[in-house]
Amino acid sequence: MKLKINRSMIALWIILALTFLVTGLVDSYFFSIPSIGITLQLAAPLGLLAAGQTIVMLTGGIDLSLAMIATGAAYIVSVKSESGLLISLAYALIFCVVVGAVNGIAVGVFGVNPLIMTLSMSAILIGVFTVGVSTFLRGSSRMPDLLITASSGLILDPITWPLIIWIIVGGFVHFSLTRTGFGRVIYAIGDNAKAARLAGVKVWQVQIAVYVSCAILGGMAGIMLGGQSGAVAISLANSYLLPSVAAVVIGGTSIMGGMGSYSGSVMGALILSVLSYLLATLNSSEAFKQLVYGGIVLALAWVYSSISERK
Amino acid sequence: MKLSLREQYWNLSILGLVIILTVWRSNQLPVFGSYEIKTIILGIIPIALLAMGQSLIIIGGGINLAIGAEAILINCITAKYSEGSDFATSLRWALLGIVISVIVGAVTGWIISKSGIADIVVTLATSFVLIGFALFIQPGPGGGVNLDFAKYFIGGEDSYLAPLFVLFLPILLIWLPLQKSRLGISFYAIGSSKDAAFLSGVNVARTRVSLYAVGGLFAGLCGVSLTAITQAASPFAVISNTATLNSVAAAVLGGVALAGGVGGLFGPALASLVLYYIPTIMLGYGIDPAYSQIIQGALTILVVLVGGLLRARGKR
Repeated sequence: MKLKINRSMIALWIILALTFLVTGLVDSYFFSIPSIGITLQLAAPLGLLAAGQTIVMLTGGIDLSLAMIATGAAYIVSVKSESGLLISLAYALIFCVVVGAVNGIAVGVFGVNPLIMTLSMSAILIGVFTVGVSTFLRGSSRMPDLLITASSGLILDPITWPLIIWIIVGGFVHFSLTRTGFGRVIYAIGDNAKAARLAGVKVWQVQIAVYVSCAILGGMAGIMLGGQSGAVAISLANSYLLPSVAAVVIGGTSIMGGMGSYSGSVMGALILSVLSYLLATLNSSEAFKQLVYGGIVLALAWVYSSISERK
Repeated sequence: MKLSLREQYWNLSILGLVIILTVWRSNQLPVFGSYEIKTIILGIIPIALLAMGQSLIIIGGGINLAIGAEAILINCITAKYSEGSDFATSLRWALLGIVISVIVGAVTGWIISKSGIADIVVTLATSFVLIGFALFIQPGPGGGVNLDFAKYFIGGEDSYLAPLFVLFLPILLIWLPLQKSRLGISFYAIGSSKDAAFLSGVNVARTRVSLYAVGGLFAGLCGVSLTAITQAASPFAVISNTATLNSVAAAVLGGVALAGGVGGLFGPALASLVLYYIPTIMLGYGIDPAYSQIIQGALTILVVLVGGLLRARGKR
């Protein structure tokens, strides 16, 4: 087991190194410190989204409403920012907790299939925010300055504030998953929910906690994305949904749950970020980007699953 | 295959809901004649075809999150190359489009079988690839089709016979024979339990490829019908995602269990009427159509919830 994880991690390092080298060969500017800083800065929100997705997928679930939760949190912060930064953040936090709790209660208590639950939740949120933009959520779509700094501010090249936030939050997620009872219970549920229940784990409580944590991580990522683009649009995090799942899958977390780690997802997020830098430098059409992105995600997931199967 | 009592009740209650909504809708309109009926049928054809494709795949234990993208791709291919063409060319491209869709479906099934990656992940990735192809072929809204060809789908001025045929022919010609065939039964078999199916001599990998190929057939029909009905194509991920969500919602609403192995294609076809009516009736009242997304999402959750509770009670 230990050996297998190491082997997969080595494979991920090799893939990351390869994409890194190829990108550098295509665009020599990539090897400069500022561009590495930018790549890491852009990887931070994806890393946070992947953290949420990892926790949920470890329990055998999936959160397809994550992108809309991220957009929603960013939207709420920007609109409510007139009444003070802390209050706007509190509103966003409440939003994340409520949406996460609804997801978690439906999945954990009522046994609704997570895929359907979160897909429907995503549709509901799109509806709510589309209506909200012209009614109860009318207001400035500009992010507060402090959050713009926190999402893209430079400390010392290539270290940026979002990178620091990612390291702190990601470190906390990694610690929770590997060193705490909560983390162990998450793995237990993903491995065999029935056995976990019989062993005395209150599965539904854990699942609510998992979906709420996922939503909060998604909200953080959304605010970071909003801060990086300066203003919030309703499609803000849309394009991050597939990458958030892909980063986790490439990182070796099983979609059936019970197996995987956040460190793998971090590698996945880094690989995908370097990849999107590469696609951006190729100056290609949107069609080509989508095609290559989807293809590479599929190929990486395939390579990974065949490596980890070979014992 | 005989429907179980539960499925019959389920289909009957959906039918009741459809009748209520039809009456509701007909009261909204000043006249409710053959033209209005035709509009309704044309509105549900693409939703119903996609819902049937998705339902079949779910029955076989899979799920295809790229099914909307598949339909949009075929829509773009046929609309691009049939623009301003004669009847024969439009027909040829329609047939070719369906063949391409079947191949795309088969390749998807093959990748899932061969790689061992979960259906969700593979189809989430292929949805990007397919939309990429669609954008390649048709970079923006546009395209067209031969009008004589389109007539076979949309019918004449006031006649709703042609669209009715388009809606029912796939059920009669594909679903009914398939349901009784060895292949159809093996779809149900791998949907209920892959291991049991394998042990009883079903070639799981090959069945799965056929499953996604038949799903692709429905997606292709949906794409071609979109071209004929709208006489244009728009290669946008938003549209394909909404279409995919609709197809899953219709499958669930139509009594197809997400765990696989349970359900049929009549229920989802009926359920797509419900999904068509919700936004249409709301628009009739002048309500922002964004609300209909909220209602539809909530309805889907509710149906899965009630279905799950009923099943749990049935087991006890």
